[in-house]
Amino acid sequence: MSFEYHEPPSVSEAVALAARFGSEARFLAGGTDLIVQINRGKLAPRHVVSLHRVPGLDTIAVDGHVTLGALVTHRALERSPHFQGRYRGLVEGAQVVGGHQVRNVGTVGGNIVNASPAADVVPVLLALDAAVTCLGPEGERTLPLEEFLVGPGQTQRRPEELLTTVRFPLLGPNSATAFLKAGRRKAMEISVVCVAARMTLDAGLERCREARIALGAVAPTTLRARAAEHVLEGEVPRAELLRRAGALAARACQPISDVRASSQFRRLLVETLVPRVLARCLERIREEGR
Amino acid sequence: MRKLPLSLTINGETHELLAEPHHPLLEVLRTQLGLIGTKENCLEGECGVCTVLLDGMAVNSCLLLAAQCQGRRIVTIEGLGGPETLHPLQETFVEHGAVQCGYCIPGMILAAKAYLDQNPEPTEGEIREALSGNLCRCTGYQKILDAVLAAAGVLAPMR
Ligand SMILES: Cc1cc2nc3c(=O)[nH]c(=O)nc-3n(C[C@H](O)[C@H](O)[C@H](O)COP(=O)(O)OP(=O)(O)OC[C@H]3O[C@@H](n4cnc5c(N)ncnc54)[C@H](O)[C@@H]3O)c2cc1C
Ligand code: FES
Ligand code: FES
Repeated sequence: MSFEYHEPPSVSEAVALAARFGSEARFLAGGTDLIVQINRGKLAPRHVVSLHRVPGLDTIAVDGHVTLGALVTHRALERSPHFQGRYRGLVEGAQVVGGHQVRNVGTVGGNIVNASPAADVVPVLLALDAAVTCLGPEGERTLPLEEFLVGPGQTQRRPEELLTTVRFPLLGPNSATAFLKAGRRKAMEISVVCVAARMTLDAGLERCREARIALGAVAPTTLRARAAEHVLEGEVPRAELLRRAGALAARACQPISDVRASSQFRRLLVETLVPRVLARCLERIREEGR
Repeated sequence: MRKLPLSLTINGETHELLAEPHHPLLEVLRTQLGLIGTKENCLEGECGVCTVLLDGMAVNSCLLLAAQCQGRRIVTIEGLGGPETLHPLQETFVEHGAVQCGYCIPGMILAAKAYLDQNPEPTEGEIREALSGNLCRCTGYQKILDAVLAAAGVLAPMR
């Protein structure tokens, strides 16, 4: 079960190693998914390419966009002064990933590439219309996160590609995000269901201009609930409408039954959490408007 | 696989050793260096008994490859204080009877240290959250919380 270990000092050398070893290689970021999977015998890479010496991938840049390097840790997201306001949903997603030991090393890039349907930061990024950039021997390509995610543990990433950044547009005024998670206990728990939302209201803070709702742990990939988004857009988001959005979101998901919860219970959670997470966005927008 | 020559700085001392590429730091600490204060249990990041400080941060040494630790500072429970020179956290754990079987305690103390270093005046709720990655099978959580709160009271004025 052993492997050969590499620690390239640059992005280009990391990509060159991945190109040389193809699907026999795996990148190692925080290791909180990869090492567990290797120990369980689920993965047996012949080459492990650690990224901890690669510079420049751990920065958070806010200019015309927000750009997160793939090696930004959950801890760094939680603490970033950029995300305490309109982007609060990102902090809420990052905050519930494992305990401090996991968040100190676990990365955004690992959360995305691991492609667990229960990943907690991914739904918030989906609600923010994020796109991911991969670098391979032939150059860079950028694709919407939603397209990038293919199935449990599966993405569009080619084995020789390094995920370098994830980027999303800046949120304008009258916008907010929020995230909620249901687990079997309060801390250190994989999501039974998690939901993220973003809402933008018109200038008079009356009608919903744009809505995004993303659901985790209810389908093979993190899922956008489009019908629920559409029912909100252009309308006055009263409590009754939020409940309708919840019902539509519950209809959009295809949850499994497993040791954590039954499929029906997961649907019920979606129906309950979606109106709540939307209401939280509305509260935040109104607070900011005051 | 070929063993890797590694140079690791642990508790301020540099050790030259050979390790398998897949060996976690935990294994090197316990089997090669005899630093058995760091405990071993789930090996999946769930319980925190293997917690060490990596450049001042609490991390699970069961999920960290020894090879990844070169050029970084590792502190284990042995580096915090010995029988004659207890760290204030170790003292308050003794005073509050926070130790039952003791298995979780090295990890608890190091996780608490990393947290207090950054947040010298925490609330009880914040300490609970900071220790959520550490399980105590003897379930002595309340006394552990009391001990960490007391240590915060001792440490804060020393900063
Ligand atoms: C105890 C415990 C609790 C957890 N709880 C949660 C939780 O509540 N919510 C949650 O969402 N997750 C949870 N996780 C899972 C994990 O911590 C997160 O998914 C984390 O973000 C993974 O990041 P990493 O840097 O550790 O990834 P790694 O394990 O290093 O990598 C994961 C995968 O991504 C690949 N990869 C990593 N970076 C790149 C890159 N830049 N380019 C290409 N490929 C890359 C790796 O090859 C590997 O296949 C938990 C894990 C543990 C051990
Ligand atoms: S042994 Fe490392 S977290 Fe349990
Ligand atoms: S004191 Fe026994 S496990 Fe905590």
